[in-house]
Amino acid sequence: MIYGAWICLLSPLAAAGLITLGGERISRRGAGYLATLSCFVAFGGALASFVGLLGRSGGQRAVVSTAWTWISGGSYRSGFEVMIDPLSVFMMLIVAGVGALIVAYSIGYMDGDNEERRYFAYMALFVFSMLLLVQGGNLLILLAGWGMVGLSSYLLIGFWHDRPSAIAAAKKAFIMNAIGDATMALALFLLIKKAGSVEFGILGGQYTSTVATLVALGLLGGAVAKSAQLPLQTWLPDAMEGPTPVSALIHAATMVTAGVYLIVRTHAIFESAPHVADLAAGLGAGTLVVAGLIALVQVDIKRVIAYSTMSQIGYMFVGVGLGSYANGMFHLMTHAFFKALLFMAAGIVIHALADEQDVRKMGGLRQLMPRTYLAFLIGSLALVGIFPFAGFFSKDSILAAALDHGAYGYVLWVAGLAGAFLTGLYSFRLLFLVFWGEPSPFVREHFHALKRDVVGVSLAVPVAILAGLSVVGGWIQWAPLWHPIETWLQTAAEPTVSPRSWQEAVSSALALLLGLGGIYLAWLFYGVRRFAVPRFAFAQRVLEHKFYFDELYDALFYRPTVWAAKSLYRWVEEPLIDESSDSLGQDTRDLGRLVARGQTGLLRTYALAIASSVAVLAIVFVAVR
Amino acid sequence: MMGPGTAWYLAVAGFLFGTGALGVLVRRNPLIVLLSLEIMLNGANLALIAFARHLNNGDGQIFALAVMAVAASEVVVGLGLIVALNRKRVPLDVDRLSSLRG
Repeated sequence: MIYGAWICLLSPLAAAGLITLGGERISRRGAGYLATLSCFVAFGGALASFVGLLGRSGGQRAVVSTAWTWISGGSYRSGFEVMIDPLSVFMMLIVAGVGALIVAYSIGYMDGDNEERRYFAYMALFVFSMLLLVQGGNLLILLAGWGMVGLSSYLLIGFWHDRPSAIAAAKKAFIMNAIGDATMALALFLLIKKAGSVEFGILGGQYTSTVATLVALGLLGGAVAKSAQLPLQTWLPDAMEGPTPVSALIHAATMVTAGVYLIVRTHAIFESAPHVADLAAGLGAGTLVVAGLIALVQVDIKRVIAYSTMSQIGYMFVGVGLGSYANGMFHLMTHAFFKALLFMAAGIVIHALADEQDVRKMGGLRQLMPRTYLAFLIGSLALVGIFPFAGFFSKDSILAAALDHGAYGYVLWVAGLAGAFLTGLYSFRLLFLVFWGEPSPFVREHFHALKRDVVGVSLAVPVAILAGLSVVGGWIQWAPLWHPIETWLQTAAEPTVSPRSWQEAVSSALALLLGLGGIYLAWLFYGVRRFAVPRFAFAQRVLEHKFYFDELYDALFYRPTVWAAKSLYRWVEEPLIDESSDSLGQDTRDLGRLVARGQTGLLRTYALAIASSVAVLAIVFVAVR
Repeated sequence: MMGPGTAWYLAVAGFLFGTGALGVLVRRNPLIVLLSLEIMLNGANLALIAFARHLNNGDGQIFALAVMAVAASEVVVGLGLIVALNRKRVPLDVDRLSSLRG
């Protein structure tokens, strides 16, 4: 069982190493097959761990395996440990499973790119890092995985390194994430100081409320940065500069949901610091509304989906912030299915339209690519949460949990419902714009259908599988009728809220109605175009500028830093340091010139100098005696 | 053995040395400068020998021999330089040989 975990962890790393070291001895397509195979092996390992855990009773479902002692000093020691428990196995299955499908999809999507091998090595490295993150047996390993997914994400966003915008986006993502990494590291330092260890078990210990709050805040900072929540959300839309499968794998299905995983994993500390947990939920609620609003005006097909990702992760934050851990994780799972599906369907559209991403140039693709349309429709319905698709089951449980959390919960609940309406509106706006209507001139000119070759199959099959999962994946748990995920995760994270049936029913009904309302509105404006789309110049401008977050950070951090650097240069570096070294040299030269005047070059002066010196010496010699 | 006292010898030596020094300082022809230098050396030699006689000690004479050897070598080098200067058609005037001015 634990061998399954190690195989799961190491096989993508092995693939990354092989592709890197093999160089041109591995063909481009071979690299793709190797990476895909390693991810499927990892999935097999995850399945083996899952089956192994199933065979145990609830209390014993946590196995730690230590490879070696990594760091030891004084009484502190931490090992290189992997842990499998219900929560990590849950994540392993999602990461390896969805990851394998997306890497398989990449074989087709990246076909013909100049640097396919590098791409697949990075992808395998990412899968390894993400598995390290979720399997890490202590907080330090988790942080190591946390940093490595950030690195892989940076490498993959900037994969097309000849595009300045991609490089800028990669740097932005890395720096925003570094903020979170730093706060997380600080939280760990505090924990080591107070408890002398980084094991997960110490999180449940007794701490003063200040310590608990600080640690929880540090961890929340990491979670917020990685999961692109307010106020560190600005990197995610820009990260869409990377190849589409990267967006699907890293910036939708797995890495960005790591923040949710982190909160569930460290839930004990959040329970000792309830205000921070409320803050997490509040940030989630804020993000889900803000992102939903911004998504309404975006014109890049991938950016719309990126904002919907932020919005959906906002739901998960609401869920786990309220203590409804199983529902948050459940939404994480269904979201991985339908968001990967949406991204990959969008990828097929982009692929078919010669890399065009602007929805204003699209339209009428329904007749041209009916199966992709179907996949996109399924993904959108699951995203909005329409019965019987996956999102319905998971999203509504989170809303019900909010209803069970007092007055603050009502605020979150209303925000969540508003988000459900917005989700319907923006996702079907996108669907109608891209697929409905008559094919635009651009589409007629550039469209080329998928062929039934390796590329076509590699693109189509994972999408079909994910479409299937998006339809049936939600049926795993239908609170309160049956809830196997909640039971499964109970030993890892016991929920602190238990919504009653009427709360579930009311939330489901309202969310469904509002989602349908959003879809209907989108249909009126963008589907049948019964009404012209209303324009509100001010709102439009604010949304197109993404609530001026970039401008705000620019004014708050970037400009002052540049200003400080420039003024230091101008008032300190130039006059003090530069000038002083200059004048040191200048003065030495002046002194030299002065002395050089004594060197007349005339023999008689030298002779006179010698003679008079000797005379003076002689006189002194005689006189002193 | 009688003769002039040591002081006389020293007076002659000082006169020779002063004449030589004056020549080195005021003459512009390097050949004459070299010549004056020899006169200075001879003055010094005379003083050395006079002191050797005065103190009944042979060291001064040995010094004088060494100085003569040095003077001979110096003349070779100096004359060689002057001949070389002449060959290059450089004016034989120490005041105009001042390219070492700082």
